[in-house]
Amino acid sequence: MIYEFRYLAPKTASELVAILDGNKADGKILAGGTDLIPNIRNGLQKPRLVIDIKKYAGADKLAFGSDGLTMGPAVTINDILRSRDARERFPVLCECAHELASHQIRNRATVAGNVVNASPCSDMAPALLCLGASAVLRSASGERVVPFAKFFAGVKKTVLSPGEFLERIIVPASAAGATGRYLKLKRIAGHDLGIVGVLMTRAGGALRFAVSSAAPTPVLVESVTLKDSPDEAASKVLAAVSPISDVRGTKEYREHMIGVYVRRLLAEVK
Amino acid sequence: MKIKLTVNGLVYEHETAEHTTLLRFLREDLGLTGTKEGCGMGECGACTVILNGHAVNSCMVLAAEVDGAVINTIEGESTGPSLSDIQKAFEANHAVQCGFCTPGMVMSVKELLAGNKQPSVEEVKDAIEGNFCRCTGYTQIIEAVMDLTGRPGAKGELEHV
Repeated sequence: MIYEFRYLAPKTASELVAILDGNKADGKILAGGTDLIPNIRNGLQKPRLVIDIKKYAGADKLAFGSDGLTMGPAVTINDILRSRDARERFPVLCECAHELASHQIRNRATVAGNVVNASPCSDMAPALLCLGASAVLRSASGERVVPFAKFFAGVKKTVLSPGEFLERIIVPASAAGATGRYLKLKRIAGHDLGIVGVLMTRAGGALRFAVSSAAPTPVLVESVTLKDSPDEAASKVLAAVSPISDVRGTKEYREHMIGVYVRRLLAEVK
Repeated sequence: MKIKLTVNGLVYEHETAEHTTLLRFLREDLGLTGTKEGCGMGECGACTVILNGHAVNSCMVLAAEVDGAVINTIEGESTGPSLSDIQKAFEANHAVQCGFCTPGMVMSVKELLAGNKQPSVEEVKDAIEGNFCRCTGYTQIIEAVMDLTGRPGAKGELEHV
């Protein structure tokens, strides 16, 4: 790349915290790099310092315990697909993970990066929203836990403050066993950014919907019940989103397809 | 900065700039120009190499990140004049036309076959979904893999256009 920056790879979490604290203005965290590196190449981002978050001990932790499933910031999308805990206890995570980009990108892109990037078309956000997952954010001033329902602040914006990083994602043990299906509309059969994506999960008798590419942030809808008719369900979901027209599709097409997907998903469980 | 890594079984210790991508490092610093740059943005897969056992787009990885890693590129496939089994299957099935996607395509197939000796057509399609080919229409590439791995009844899975 023509643009020059410095690269640091802290070996411990506390070293990472100190580096982030000292470089709030022009440091940028590198996880999978599948967004950051093309953005630097294309001149969209110009960090003076790139801080690799994958090299500290424990960054790639992916484990199931009494809290639930814990994922460090270096856990890749394909790590999820290869994890027996994820496949058996949280199949919804795998359902969304498999729809994300291409095989090579899934080998590199991280779950944490996918949500911190906060694209409206994030594929992991719908799963984390429906499963009631939380983000543990860490900085020099300590830790705080933010549920994903309150994590996204707008297009490419999150509640992360400068100097803070997503240290782990926790999917609660209480969400284990939920099943679901993610329908993602794309222009080509292989990898592509979504035109719209609708995830429906079911845990016992409770339904949850999450929609991507249909509002400034991924949207969670908890008001649909199994008693709703397909049209009632579609109107509840559509009331929660605000799609725009862009290069991938029009507002009307997106609204129409969200309705189609909600009805289709509901028909499968009725 | 100095990095040390294994490429196709050879250990290299090399100076590299901190902002250099793995793709540039392989091509320009090590002279391994078999790996191609297509889009430079992770869309086309021409730059696919195997990093610690997993196929990745080398245009989106920094050389600095792969210090200590094990990498396989297309140059590691043939031994002297004799092609690898994947390369022979590509040749026999006309899976190469202009050849620009081939190094990346072969690396994606190599990763697939390392963990799955007899993939289905669907599994092959999944493995190469990040590799664009503008010549073959993909059918010959899939046929090459099926021919090599010999899944019983696989011919019936292929759709000819």
